[in-house]
Amino acid sequence: MTTSAMDPATISGRTVARGHAPKKRSVGGTVGRTGVWIVLLVYALVSIIPMIWLLIAPSKTAEQLNNQSPFSFGTFANYGEAWNHLLTFQNGVIVQWLVNSVLYTVAIVAIACITAVLAGYALAATAIPLKRSLLIITLVAMIIPPVALVLPLFIEISNVQLFDTPAAVILTSSFYPFGVFLAYIYFSTSIPKDIYEAARMDGAGEFATLWRIALPLSKGLFGMLAFFSFSASWVNYFLPYVLLGSAENFTLPVGLGVLFSSTPALNPGNGAQQSVIGRPEIALAGLLLAVPILIVFLLSSRLLVRGVLAGSVKS
Amino acid sequence: MIAPYLVLLIAFGIVPVIVAAITSLEPSVINPGGGPLNYLQALQDFRFLPALGNVGVFLLLYVPSMLIVVALMSLLLDTVQGRWNVPLRLAYIVPASLTGATAVLVWYFLLEPTLSPYKDVLHALGITQGGQIWRAPNLAWIFALMAFFTGAGNWIVVQYGSLQSISDDILEAARIDGANAWQIGWRIKLPLIQKYIVYMGILVFAAGLQVFVEPQLISSSVYPGLASNWSLNQLSYSFAFQSNNLGGAAALSLMLLIVCLIGAVFVIFKTDFFEGAGVKEK
Repeated sequence: MTTSAMDPATISGRTVARGHAPKKRSVGGTVGRTGVWIVLLVYALVSIIPMIWLLIAPSKTAEQLNNQSPFSFGTFANYGEAWNHLLTFQNGVIVQWLVNSVLYTVAIVAIACITAVLAGYALAATAIPLKRSLLIITLVAMIIPPVALVLPLFIEISNVQLFDTPAAVILTSSFYPFGVFLAYIYFSTSIPKDIYEAARMDGAGEFATLWRIALPLSKGLFGMLAFFSFSASWVNYFLPYVLLGSAENFTLPVGLGVLFSSTPALNPGNGAQQSVIGRPEIALAGLLLAVPILIVFLLSSRLLVRGVLAGSVKS
Repeated sequence: MIAPYLVLLIAFGIVPVIVAAITSLEPSVINPGGGPLNYLQALQDFRFLPALGNVGVFLLLYVPSMLIVVALMSLLLDTVQGRWNVPLRLAYIVPASLTGATAVLVWYFLLEPTLSPYKDVLHALGITQGGQIWRAPNLAWIFALMAFFTGAGNWIVVQYGSLQSISDDILEAARIDGANAWQIGWRIKLPLIQKYIVYMGILVFAAGLQVFVEPQLISSSVYPGLASNWSLNQLSYSFAFQSNNLGGAAALSLMLLIVCLIGAVFVIFKTDFFEGAGVKEK
């Protein structure tokens, strides 16, 4: 994902020191050093234990989960078994949830990234009226947590008869002020202004400049925009929960909530006692939700650093 | 060029706020006259103060622990350069993939003494049944724990990134002056990344104020009713979908929104975080 364009200046406009000066840091001697390592390693362990547990949980039957050591592995066959059980739940509705989650997320990421790049470029490289006001509104919208707008969005969406449609979730989630700001910072710091000027001198219009000059230099930006919009929309719960009504439109996170409440796996008081949805099945459903995001996070951890602090640019 | 975004901004950023403002003044079952009384009634609802208290305790636990642990861990991580740095960072961001519904699921299992990976610890503490943990007085702690583990790792990596921006000259100068690692961390690095920490604090506070998924899922499926109307957002959800009081729901949502709005405006205009982003008046 790294392009040469990303290297000279990081997205935050700061130079990242690659490896510090020769290490002569005495951390209060060996004792302090050991202490630091213990803290770092214990925290790392605590961080990965839940994920490891979740990864191996569906390899065991419900009894094995109860009786065997938490980190013992069952069999690979049990993953298939648990999946088959999940398929029996409401005629395999989980497949629909998975498909919905993928489709909605792809649509959201596509719309969000394209609108963000266009707007970011317009704000950074072209003369548009009310630029400063637009920037401030975008910043405000970016800092306010999306959850805060869910109920107002519900009222609006019901008024325009979009309730319980995929479009309700896709459109509302495609509003991506954070992406606009990232693109704006990128286009104003990582690409020299002279390049835009030169293209214009040659008679290129704004779209041509964006298409031929700015976009080819922006692969890193696209990676970052896609990363953040994917990680927000794949796991989003509250918005689809409120904007969707029927099970066949649900996403995987909302469906997971339905699974929780319709099996006795988590609460014996719930649902049909003879349900085949037990703890391994619930764990497998959770895994389906967690693994894509885990993979994306591990592959793109660098983007996290650059993106979140993109606001603080050196002028 | 900016038009597609502008459409989304207006349709899903500005219009919902206006619609909510109008709705918040509409008549409802408990307030046939409509008007600003909706706001007062939302605040006077018997569930409002408990929910405010819950969220308040939750924030008191969650925000400071985020600030302290993230600052400390990122400083410690910064002392480890070389090949071990990357695996540590990767380990720290793993919990971020367990968010929302999955976080509830995983924490249900982690806190269930019969099958938790920490069951020995739980047994040692005399906890043999999930019911001993999942009690109303413990909820703020549990939800803070969930939110903390979901968010802290990513922020540690982010703040570690901000530490990388400190120039080596400054650190070298401090070392020559005889400062030890502890003093460099506390007196030099921490003040230099202060604005990033403040930024994080405000984002974390705004998100925490809106807590919804965890109590809602626990309450609607795992332990029915245990955390119903536990948070302010849940209460606003109840107004809308159970009490058929859309006016009250909109009023409460807007009040929460305004608190976040104040936070946002504070970050933009009162800190130097966005300095140079073209926001300040030249």
